Amino acid sequence: MQQYPQPIANLIDSYKKLPGIGDKTATRLAFYTIDMDEDDVTKFAQNLIAAKRDLHYCSICGNITEQDPCEICTDKTRDQSTILVVEQPKDVMSMERMNDYHGLYHVLHGVLSPIEGLGPEDINITSLIKRLQKDTVKEVIVATNATPEGEATARYIAQLIKPAGIKVTRLAHGLSVGSDIEYADEMTLIKAVEGRQEM
Amino acid sequence: MYLDKLKLKNYRNYENVDTTFSPDINVFLGANAQGKTNLLESIYVLAMTKSHRTSNNKELIRWGTQFAKIDGTVVKETGSLPLELILSHQGKRAKVNRLDQAKLSQYIGKFNVILFAPEDLAIVKGAPMLRRRFIDMEFGQMSPKYLYALTNYQAILKQRNHYLKMLQQKKASDQLYLNVITEQLIEYGAQVVVARQEFLQRMEHWAQEIHKTITLDQETLTFAYKSQVPTEALTDVKAAQAALQELFEKHRQREIEQGTTLVGPQRDDVVFLINDKNVQNFGSQGQQRTVALSVKLAEIDLMKELTGEYPVLLLDDVLSELDDARQTHLLKTIQHKVQTFLTTTSLDGVAQDIIQNPRIFHIEAGQITTD
Ligand SMILES: Nc1ncnc2c1ncn2[C@@H]1O[C@H](COP(=O)(O)OP(=O)(O)O)[C@@H](O)[C@H]1O
Ligand SMILES: [Mg+2]
Ligand SMILES: [Zn+2]
Repeated sequence: MQQYPQPIANLIDSYKKLPGIGDKTATRLAFYTIDMDEDDVTKFAQNLIAAKRDLHYCSICGNITEQDPCEICTDKTRDQSTILVVEQPKDVMSMERMNDYHGLYHVLHGVLSPIEGLGPEDINITSLIKRLQKDTVKEVIVATNATPEGEATARYIAQLIKPAGIKVTRLAHGLSVGSDIEYADEMTLIKAVEGRQEM
Repeated sequence: MYLDKLKLKNYRNYENVDTTFSPDINVFLGANAQGKTNLLESIYVLAMTKSHRTSNNKELIRWGTQFAKIDGTVVKETGSLPLELILSHQGKRAKVNRLDQAKLSQYIGKFNVILFAPEDLAIVKGAPMLRRRFIDMEFGQMSPKYLYALTNYQAILKQRNHYLKMLQQKKASDQLYLNVITEQLIEYGAQVVVARQEFLQRMEHWAQEIHKTITLDQETLTFAYKSQVPTEALTDVKAAQAALQELFEKHRQREIEQGTTLVGPQRDDVVFLINDKNVQNFGSQGQQRTVALSVKLAEIDLMKELTGEYPVLLLDDVLSELDDARQTHLLKTIQHKVQTFLTTTSLDGVAQDIIQNPRIFHIEAGQITTD
């Protein structure tokens, strides 16, 4: 069998590291790439590196950001008394897009799942508790997804926070069972925030 | 409801199928190992997203190909509904009306089937796990709510068993997390047992009547639902929750010691009784067969009661196993009401006077020809 030249083989290997991309697609992408304009390819490579080099996790909320702390955490016009807890940075994007919530965020980067080896120390819970020790926060809205694990995580957080006398609510109506925030349309999200329930 | 059109691509030994069925009786006729059961199975899979023969969907993909596709048009009282299921090595995708369904509980139940196969006897004779599986598959089709509670219950149970093992091996110590998932398990578990009780009672009603007719009034069939939750707590979700709560508290220490969940519907069973005697232990082979038939036939009526439409019936090699009286009873029940698919190697053993104008599909090496 004829071997691919080393640069192509390397490129195929790199594409294969992306989720959902197997041998076939990686090969197709690699051959497509060598046919692209040199400028576009250079830009592509620069963007890849920049995304990794210039993005950090915010040391307060855990969201991805160019500067630490992030724009939302440093924005004094935002309501400092509510924190909305989400699973992933993309959930912050969805919430921000609807432009109706003006409080702060906290990104867990996952949900509790013993099977996947994720315990309370493995997701961003400790730093949430630390944030709550300043008494500016009056309400925590837990917006984890409506999966069994998202639900368990919400309850766990509620149990942890309750003794501190802070109100904990959960996005209730609107979000259909088993759905991800990412897929919810804006109306559903707005209704979900309005209809949140105390835990 | 009935299945009007079926298209298959790379399903088992079928490369391409595009066929239209009779709303009445369809016979898949052919020698052994030609693909009769495969074709019947594809209809079952279209409804349930999994096979009755294997839990590994990869086996359903034609050897040497990447994915299988089942495409069906179901005609219901509300109109016709296109269903599509794609099985690949990565998993499955289900579409209703060409729209992706994120949750299986949104898909299963759109098309209802009941399968009769020689293995049905296991519902009566087999291990409790087989009866639970039977109950879950059938009730899940009739109630998305049941399916939702059950799937969540099973997901949490898995996590909890894993976590109990960690507690047992001292790899974790957080009791708060155990409390939280136990509370969740209790909530979904209560919904599951209460629904099972209700379904079983309704099903018993229909099965009893059918069994009486088949046995010429000689036998009374009853069901006994065996759950750790006491019977009086099975009528109400709140009561079932309280009962489960108490059970979990009582077993908590032992659960940690043994590293597994000891309480809940995953331990349920159903006992079938004829004239108050347990058929599994005391029934003859013939009695056990009749009970299995009565229970399956009861499903037809139960589905009609709960969903408003008759399901589609799939009979795999069962007609030849039934004696004349039972065959006649079965065919009378379904006549002109229930679309039926049956597989057979020959039409000889089939009560001809009852099957009028069946549409015959000759099956040979993954090819279908019609008369
Ligand atoms: N994934 C598959 N790809 C191709 N052929 C298959 C696959 N699974 C089973 N078969 C073939 O299907 C045939 C069995 O078909 P089946 O429907 O069970 O027979 P019958 O007509 O006796 O009911 C066998 O010849 C088997 O080799
Ligand atoms: Mg067969
Ligand atoms: Zn931040």
